Amino acid sequence: MIEARDVSVSIGRKCIVSDMKFEIRPGELAAIVGPNGSGKTTFMRALSGDLPYTGSISINGHALASLKPWEVATMRAVLPQATALSFPFTVREIVKLGLLGGRSGALPGEEERLPERALARVDLEGFGGRFYQELSGGEQQRVQLARVLCQVWAPVLEERPRYLFLDEPVSSLDIKHQLIIMDLARDFAGRGGGVVAILHDLNLTAMYADRIYVMHKGRLAAAGSPANVLSDELMSRVFECRLRVGALPAGNAPFVLPQSAAP
Amino acid sequence: MFDTSLAGVRSGGAQAMPGDRSARARLVIGILLAALVITILLSLTSGASDASASAVLRDWLSATEAGALSERDRIIIYDIRMPRVAMGMLVGAALAVAGAIMQGLFRNPLADPGLIGVSAGSALGAVGMLVLGASFLAPMASLLGIYALPVAAFAGGLVSTLLLYRISTRRGQTSVATMLLAGIALAALAGALMGLLIFIADDRQLRDLTFWQLGSLAGATWVKVAAIGPIIALALAAAPFLARGLNALALGEATANHLGIPVQRFKYVAIISVAAATGASVAVSGGIGFVGIVVPHMLRLAIGPDNRYLLPASALLGASLLLLADAVSRTIVAPAELPIGIVTAAAGAPFFLWILLRKRGVLDL
Repeated sequence: MIEARDVSVSIGRKCIVSDMKFEIRPGELAAIVGPNGSGKTTFMRALSGDLPYTGSISINGHALASLKPWEVATMRAVLPQATALSFPFTVREIVKLGLLGGRSGALPGEEERLPERALARVDLEGFGGRFYQELSGGEQQRVQLARVLCQVWAPVLEERPRYLFLDEPVSSLDIKHQLIIMDLARDFAGRGGGVVAILHDLNLTAMYADRIYVMHKGRLAAAGSPANVLSDELMSRVFECRLRVGALPAGNAPFVLPQSAAP
Repeated sequence: MFDTSLAGVRSGGAQAMPGDRSARARLVIGILLAALVITILLSLTSGASDASASAVLRDWLSATEAGALSERDRIIIYDIRMPRVAMGMLVGAALAVAGAIMQGLFRNPLADPGLIGVSAGSALGAVGMLVLGASFLAPMASLLGIYALPVAAFAGGLVSTLLLYRISTRRGQTSVATMLLAGIALAALAGALMGLLIFIADDRQLRDLTFWQLGSLAGATWVKVAAIGPIIALALAAAPFLARGLNALALGEATANHLGIPVQRFKYVAIISVAAATGASVAVSGGIGFVGIVVPHMLRLAIGPDNRYLLPASALLGASLLLLADAVSRTIVAPAELPIGIVTAAAGAPFFLWILLRKRGVLDL
């Protein structure tokens, strides 16, 4: 379990996140939603150990601040929003960096082929020999996800759950790959791990999240199941536009929801 | 599952996965090793005297004390050419590896100790020791003995690398423009301070300085090799431990941390290694430019940017190329000798411009 209590983060003199409360249990997919600039990424960076914070964050019962980088790396992997490279790495070389800590949790003998298997899971089979810098933004994002998957290949290692932190994992993907990636995250949680994802698509959030944390102006505005959190009143207040949950478009304007995709 | 059984078959064979360049990298390292051995033999046997390669080999292999060489050739080879070859290898390897580490650290293929003021800082340290070694720094000079010059150059390089890193990196992001401009400023500042030191130097010190500044392997002695050998060996020995971290750092500081690298500590070890390697080579050979940028760049084209292979390959190719450049500097205007810094700059500067032109779109300048 990951637990954050009264977490505040300041960058320079500006307080970006105040008194944030958050928890995720193994088997859960928790979504963090909120408007731009509401502190989602900053909070995730504190959770990842990138930024100093006040308050307490614990991961599987250990205080985050007391853990060494390699110890944290065995418990969670982090997918950043975008990663630019200045050297010509191949896709396989990037994915293999996920195995750097040597605690993927894959069976002995499996690790050799893990990059290929991870690439297949993000629908990039056969991309191993391509140069990362020559891929599109969405493909690069999926390569990074394959790397992150390699780092915590087994969702549970030595009876302790592991976690995926995903910062806008589907923001630059087409709808097919949005569904593939969200299914993959769902599956990771289903096998005993935990997933924390910052999402912008409220439909995908409603579809996949067990628990939604709504952030607004650096604070927690609401937390709970999709049915409880996605209300007209809350959505309209937080996103500052009049939203109606579950309402169909007027007339016969076409609309396509991820929920309607056949499995 | 299907692919599990396939994995067993594949791992039994030698077939590499697409995108896995490690087999090629190992092959290239093998070739570079062989090339270095050949270059060493050529360097030992080429020059004004005509001691041949086969004679040297026969001398090494012969069981008798007298060997197959004349007394004159023995002195030329063992006391003149061998220390020169050893020093050339050490300096070439140090410069190339320092360049590769620095490029990884700054996440930029153009970072090079010679270009961005680290060598200038080392030179300032060395000049300071040469000029003030008899007066102000006398206690240090006598305490450190033969290590005084390399240690002073190391200290100068360390200070300038730390300054440069502090100035050009903010929140884990290194700005190329800031780095290059700060490097120019640091080099200018070091140049001014060196000018000041030269101004107060006496005649004998001026003579020492001039010889040192020429940038040459000509003054190689076993004592100098002994002075820089351990320092460069330590820096090179750190390289295998740095490789993993440099690979992770290619994805950015935050991601390196997520992968389990203690980024802050790692960066200091890398900076100290760069300063040690640069300082030691500047101390004995003056300014030899462009090795640190040309060698890693050529190797990245051949084997890719994986530092586990790039660092050892850079050491080998750097050593070979510097020996070749030294051979050119000894023979091109024979019987006189061209400072080797001129040879590496004449070959390296156009190469650097070529990289710039190729990468013009990529650089955020």
